[in-house]
Amino acid sequence: MSGFVINFEGEQVAARAGESVAAALTAHGIRGFRVTRSTAERGVFCGMGVCQDCLVEVDGVPGKRACMTVVDRPLSIRRQRHGAALAPVSDALPPATIEELAVERPELLVIGAGPGGLSAAIAARKAGAEAVVLDERRSPGGQYFKPVAVAGDDIAPPDAQHREGLALVAQARAAGVMIRSGVSVWGAFQRLEFAATSDTGETRRYLPRAVVVATGAYERAWPVPGWELPGVMTTGAAQTLWRTARRLPGQRVLIAGNGPLNLQLAAELRSGGSEVVAVVEAAGPATRAPAAVATMALASPGLVAQGLAYQWRCLTGGVPMLHDMVVSAIEQGPSGLAVTLVGGGATRVLEADVLCLGYGFEPSNELLRALGCRHDHDGTRLVTVRDADGQTSVAGVYALGDCTGLGGARVAAADGTLAGLAAAAGLGHAIGPELARLGRQAASAAQRHRRFQQALWNVYRAPALAIAQVPNNTMICRCEEVRFGAARAAIADGLADAGSVKRATRIGMGPCQGRYCRPLLEALISEATGKAPDETSGFAPRPPFRPVTIRDLAGKP
Amino acid sequence: MALPTAIGTVVIGGGVVGACVAGFLADEGQDVLVVDEGRGAGSSANAGSLHVQMQSRFMRLYPENVPNMELQLPLYPKAVAFWRELAGSLNADFDLKMTGGLMVAESQAQLDFLALKAERERRLGLDVAILDRAQLDAIAPYFGPSIVGAELCANEGKLNPLLCNAAIRTWILARGVVLAEGVSVAGIARSGTGFAVTTTRGTVTAGRVVLAAGSGTRLLAAGLDPPISIPAVAEPLHMNITEATAPLIGHLVQHADRMITLKQFGTGQIVIGGGWPARQDAPGGHAEVELASLIANASLAQHIVPSIGNLRIIRTWAGLNTSVDGMGVLGAVPAIPGLFVAIPGDAGYTLGPLSARLVADVMLGRKPGEDISPFRPERFE
Ligand SMILES: Cc1cc2nc3c(=O)[nH]c(=O)nc-3n(C[C@H](O)[C@H](O)[C@H](O)COP(=O)(O)OP(=O)(O)OC[C@H]3O[C@@H](n4cnc5c(N)ncnc54)[C@H](O)[C@@H]3O)c2cc1C
Ligand SMILES: Cc1cc2nc3c(=O)[nH]c(=O)nc-3n(C[C@H](O)[C@H](O)[C@H](O)COP(=O)(O)OP(=O)(O)OC[C@H]3O[C@@H](n4cnc5c(N)ncnc54)[C@H](O)[C@@H]3O)c2cc1C
Ligand code: FES
Repeated sequence: MSGFVINFEGEQVAARAGESVAAALTAHGIRGFRVTRSTAERGVFCGMGVCQDCLVEVDGVPGKRACMTVVDRPLSIRRQRHGAALAPVSDALPPATIEELAVERPELLVIGAGPGGLSAAIAARKAGAEAVVLDERRSPGGQYFKPVAVAGDDIAPPDAQHREGLALVAQARAAGVMIRSGVSVWGAFQRLEFAATSDTGETRRYLPRAVVVATGAYERAWPVPGWELPGVMTTGAAQTLWRTARRLPGQRVLIAGNGPLNLQLAAELRSGGSEVVAVVEAAGPATRAPAAVATMALASPGLVAQGLAYQWRCLTGGVPMLHDMVVSAIEQGPSGLAVTLVGGGATRVLEADVLCLGYGFEPSNELLRALGCRHDHDGTRLVTVRDADGQTSVAGVYALGDCTGLGGARVAAADGTLAGLAAAAGLGHAIGPELARLGRQAASAAQRHRRFQQALWNVYRAPALAIAQVPNNTMICRCEEVRFGAARAAIADGLADAGSVKRATRIGMGPCQGRYCRPLLEALISEATGKAPDETSGFAPRPPFRPVTIRDLAGKP
Repeated sequence: MALPTAIGTVVIGGGVVGACVAGFLADEGQDVLVVDEGRGAGSSANAGSLHVQMQSRFMRLYPENVPNMELQLPLYPKAVAFWRELAGSLNADFDLKMTGGLMVAESQAQLDFLALKAERERRLGLDVAILDRAQLDAIAPYFGPSIVGAELCANEGKLNPLLCNAAIRTWILARGVVLAEGVSVAGIARSGTGFAVTTTRGTVTAGRVVLAAGSGTRLLAAGLDPPISIPAVAEPLHMNITEATAPLIGHLVQHADRMITLKQFGTGQIVIGGGWPARQDAPGGHAEVELASLIANASLAQHIVPSIGNLRIIRTWAGLNTSVDGMGVLGAVPAIPGLFVAIPGDAGYTLGPLSARLVADVMLGRKPGEDISPFRPERFE
């Protein structure tokens, strides 16, 4: 196995080449990364660059996300302390203007290299459009197909899901799609202007003729006392550790949430050697919804078989399944996290080193909202207004996949093909009979997978988060360390919109830019005012959608 | 919330000026309704710089306004002092720091310009000095290699507008001011000895009306009988804020020849602004951030203070400033008894509470203690 040594505040940590700093430190038992204003420690939470709780200083450069920083050389890492002093810098770059930024004018810009974005780029390319795909992860594939990033004899080989992703990426490359990894798109402006910065610090401006937005989703908050403690992470974060770095989040892992991903994670972590304390599922057992199971089996027999296999591996592995229960509180005990579960009139406390929370997703729709695309609120989340081909309310802007609502990887892939073809046609490329047939196939696949998803969520139907019952001492804004009590007090004071509550309480002012607190605050305000949330009830979408280092805006010396 | 159908005074605009006018009237037992459409207030977008010295940006943009700026200049140090008084009387923490302001120069020509400017400002009562690089380093050891000197204005400082706005809101609500947020005024008609104010939530009759609606004042005034001309225009502006760092920049920093304001809040965050434009597609619409301003403003900031190049910008925003002729518009409108205007002028947050107090004094029949005749609303007729 090839590797490097990381110096973590004086401690030597053996890291694998290609894994994230977060994976290497986690494998070494280090859970505390960022240190907050109140000097509390935070750890890996989202594992995908959204929450900003894994911030570290890398070789003296502050504000690096450990989960998105790849170990490609020996590194010196320190915890990022809130408000730490800056190192003096003696050379100043000259002031820059927008004209000095490198500009690219691809015919079609695709943002997000998940199944949705890649499928869109492939389809558009086949129709003759020039397609450039940007993605902030180090390798293409998105959340579903994220590839194994490490190699070695002791590394479990890629599984079928990995291989399917690698094939899709190879297909895109073969078709002539240009994929740029490690590039964060942090600005989207009207007139189809985009700003993106690479992980080497180069900022570019993109002025495409059309854009496909396929930025996926991130996990929603599950706000209970203690959800900000190190060791509490999302199911996706734990899965990323395993699927990309073959690292385990910890020895004793408790998995709680709603939906099939939790089961998959349990099976994967078991196979890697973790003890899965239990899988806690908010919904009842599938046997309660036999009709939905039948619909799923008809729509996608392969996925149902896969789901059964995960369940079987859990059962044979002796993993207890606790249905109709949710996490209600988390405390740091002397020997691990003490996690309180409630449901069905019962309360239980289980102990674990790591708690994974997987209570559903929130679309990453900030670029679409900044572009002015219309959204409907379905009571739970924003859904992008789009036609069957992915055309949004803004000319030249197409959107698909989880960022437009939810639907899963297979819906994203099918919708990607449709949107890619539509975008190419919109750019004046002819869609020949073969591509038209591809489109029809994609349309029927999309329908079938939507039926599957519908039935899946019937099986996993669970009570929604009862916002009124969240205790006042629970963190609502992780970044600024503001609790529900402060939010409720501001609302009781007569502040009736998210922007006013934000300015009065600092909720949503931190570096994650309100990604976790915004839906919670909207729910609190809606509860108080009786007004349903809509596309304007959150915070105004303002760049940068990922924090951007000032020097990276000034160009290179 | 239902609006009252009749009230003593309606204040249109709930920014810092409208809110404070209402508060000062309510302090004297008057009943006041504040109507605010809750969009694009400069007061919720501004950067909290307490400006005193003439801003080179305004001098460059509007050279014809310089005489007016000089006319209002003596009011600025008093306005800063009044903010401190207000913090005391409200017993509130505004994160107000009298650190002084530095306007930096990158060439001898710029330093000469500052020396001339300082000379005139000193004659108007400001506490200013010209510093060379060595003197500058002694009080502000964080500037980049290209800075040759600066003008220091000891009257300047900074505060956190989020804290101020919250405290002012608490104050006026406690005094019984009725606050109608998210309500827009469509027109004002004269009715008997008073007014009928048409809002999106019904009509309110009032004995007196105060126009404190920033750039919204222009349309409201033009719709009166007789029409009143108040040439206030909206100026959409860009702001940036970084994540927190240790105390580094004590002063309010500006540049002699480039558009920037740079300072650090008590939160440790660095706020970067200075008048870079934002976009407003439709009059009355939201202001939107422009990439060109973000690039230029942020890269200029690291040019002046290089070490902040390693900080991350976590948010930008855009807000509507109100610009008139380099001066505020304050006082009674002679043609329409009972009508008052309260627009603060350039650096209007700095001037906000004092401007509000001057107008409230006029309304309460008290002597304002300042000559406000240069700011009279009828000067545009
Ligand atoms: C953490 C996590 C784990 C998941 N695990 C599974 C699983 O195991 N099994 C399963 O069936 N489903 C899983 N899902 C759901 C599944 O991944 C999605 O349904 C599917 O990937 C949707 O495809 P997509 O193309 O819409 O988005 P994604 O696959 O999420 O791809 C979006 C891509 O866009 C990139 N991106 C986003 N914003 C920007 C930006 N501003 N600039 C540049 N790049 C950007 C991201 O880095 C990402 O690579 C998971 C989701 C998440 C969030
Ligand atoms: C980005 C930015 C940064 C700034 N930085 C500084 C600074 O650092 N220091 C400084 O001194 N100044 C600064 N300013 C200027 C300062 O913010 C403003 O001059 C000041 O806030 C004006 O206060 P106001 O109460 O007069 O108006 P505003 O705060 O603009 O309030 C006017 C209100 O009137 C309401 N309104 C308008 N029309 C109607 C209608 N028809 N019906 C109902 N309501 C209506 C609006 O909704 C608005 O809330 C800045 C301005 C901006 C935009
Ligand atoms: S864990 Fe790295 S940003 Fe969330």
